[in-house]
Amino acid sequence: MSATIKSSELPRRGNHGSGPIVWAVIIATTCLLLLAFQKLLWLVVPFLLALILYYFLYPPVRVLIYRGMSRDAAASLVTLGFLALLFVVGVAVTPWVTGQLANWQDTVSRYAQGGLQLLDNSLRNIEAHWPTLARAHLADTLAARMVQGADSISDHLEPVAIGIMTWAPSLMLAPFLAFFFLRDGRRFKRFLSAAVPNAFFERTLYLLHEIDRTSRAYFQGLINLTLLDTVTLAAGLWLLGIPGPLALGLICAVLAWVPYVGSVLGGLLVVLVAATDFPDAPGTAYWAIALFGLVRLLDDFVYMPLTIGKSLELHPLVTVLMIFVGGAVAGVAGLMLVLPVLGVVMVIGETVGLIVTDPRLMARHRHARALLREYASKDL
Amino acid sequence: MVNFFRTSKIPLRLERLRGLSLFVKLTPAELQIVDGLLHERDYLKDEVIFDEGEEGQAIYIIASGEVLISRQGAGRTAQAVPDEARLPRRRQGDFGRVAQLGPGTFFGELALLDDSPRSAQARAANACHLIVFFRDDFVGLLDTHARIASKISRQLACHLGTRMRNMALSVGAYHHLL
Repeated sequence: MSATIKSSELPRRGNHGSGPIVWAVIIATTCLLLLAFQKLLWLVVPFLLALILYYFLYPPVRVLIYRGMSRDAAASLVTLGFLALLFVVGVAVTPWVTGQLANWQDTVSRYAQGGLQLLDNSLRNIEAHWPTLARAHLADTLAARMVQGADSISDHLEPVAIGIMTWAPSLMLAPFLAFFFLRDGRRFKRFLSAAVPNAFFERTLYLLHEIDRTSRAYFQGLINLTLLDTVTLAAGLWLLGIPGPLALGLICAVLAWVPYVGSVLGGLLVVLVAATDFPDAPGTAYWAIALFGLVRLLDDFVYMPLTIGKSLELHPLVTVLMIFVGGAVAGVAGLMLVLPVLGVVMVIGETVGLIVTDPRLMARHRHARALLREYASKDL
Repeated sequence: MVNFFRTSKIPLRLERLRGLSLFVKLTPAELQIVDGLLHERDYLKDEVIFDEGEEGQAIYIIASGEVLISRQGAGRTAQAVPDEARLPRRRQGDFGRVAQLGPGTFFGELALLDDSPRSAQARAANACHLIVFFRDDFVGLLDTHARIASKISRQLACHLGTRMRNMALSVGAYHHLL
């Protein structure tokens, strides 16, 4: 009989990816978390923003550490620099935002009307070319429905605006949280790993590192993707002559963080602006739609592989299905949170799956517990 | 939980770190940086620290206690195997014993260099307190604090050199000593 057992000699059930049970648990846990997070949006959204901010500020902190500064000092300096920049930008844009907020209901109604007008004009043009559609009176029917809908827009807007205003102050938590992530990230990792039993320690440490590496690749990729989208959209909108191309490009790029739905909303926003500001030139709105189609293609085939890549390593079918599940379980919040939550739950689930299906690690853990029991009751 | 939020500094702990052969050349400021990367684990007598063939991720430094390093098949003779079978199962590893290490020494150092499988099993010979240095943290240190990493690397190289010299002397491969 061999005295020591080689780890590599044992059969491993968990080394070829997670099985269906692990995946069922991962999906169920994701859904439960989304349900819980829906009630804690005021905390979850700042936390996610803090995470994005952390990965945004991490490179300058790292540069300062390279130059010999301590982690605490580098984190403080970079966070203070970011807050100062935020303050300067805030002071610069506050007069414009205040002016817009004063008559925001009129502005929203005006842009909604512009969009409806564009839709109505487009349908009437189509009907003029297709007599079959003209006989169905599609434009008249839609126009009647839209007028009813447009009347109630302001009724819907007010509760939404009040809802946003109530938890918007919690967004101020984001830089505060990001600062502590930057300063104490390593301590937190040590704190977490201290809770892991000896038998699983090395593997857990490695997997914690992998989680950090994957999420860093994802969020830094997301930031780069946002920059690329902003520049491309701003250039396209500027060429089309649409006002405020940079701001619109940035808003659309940030909206695109919400998969699928965000891109549609961004496209709709730009079309509304084009239709309202150029009521006599519907071609501008059509060009804006074409621009969005082009940016979507660039995103899928050039930018995403260059930035986010396959950092989450999710199958596209699972991605799309989970987006629908997230939307069904927790609405817009679910759409926004489902992929990051699934990514984290997936890595944790696979880690636990790999550990509990490793017979040698489990045997070592049982042995350690038996030793501890024996030691604790030695003098009893 | 309370310990995580506690921010007190313990110079005694740094002093203890400096006593370890791997960190002997580090200044107090450098030790403070390295201290932020280290993990601590307690093992009971006979508890397995890592197995032979397992992928190595970290180097272990013995702060207190002793660790037995053993290899499958090492040191076995026809007489030894029946004798070993009479021992309690957990003591049978002693027959494949390669070394017994004491406080201040380290083992599993090859894991800092590559991710090759562990070449032996490590088991606590008695209750011991170990300091663990994870490979990816060492790689990060090479990027962020090259001076500290080079001092540790030099100590590691000295240790590996000594071991190679001893091995060459024991098998008579004198050309390795040149």
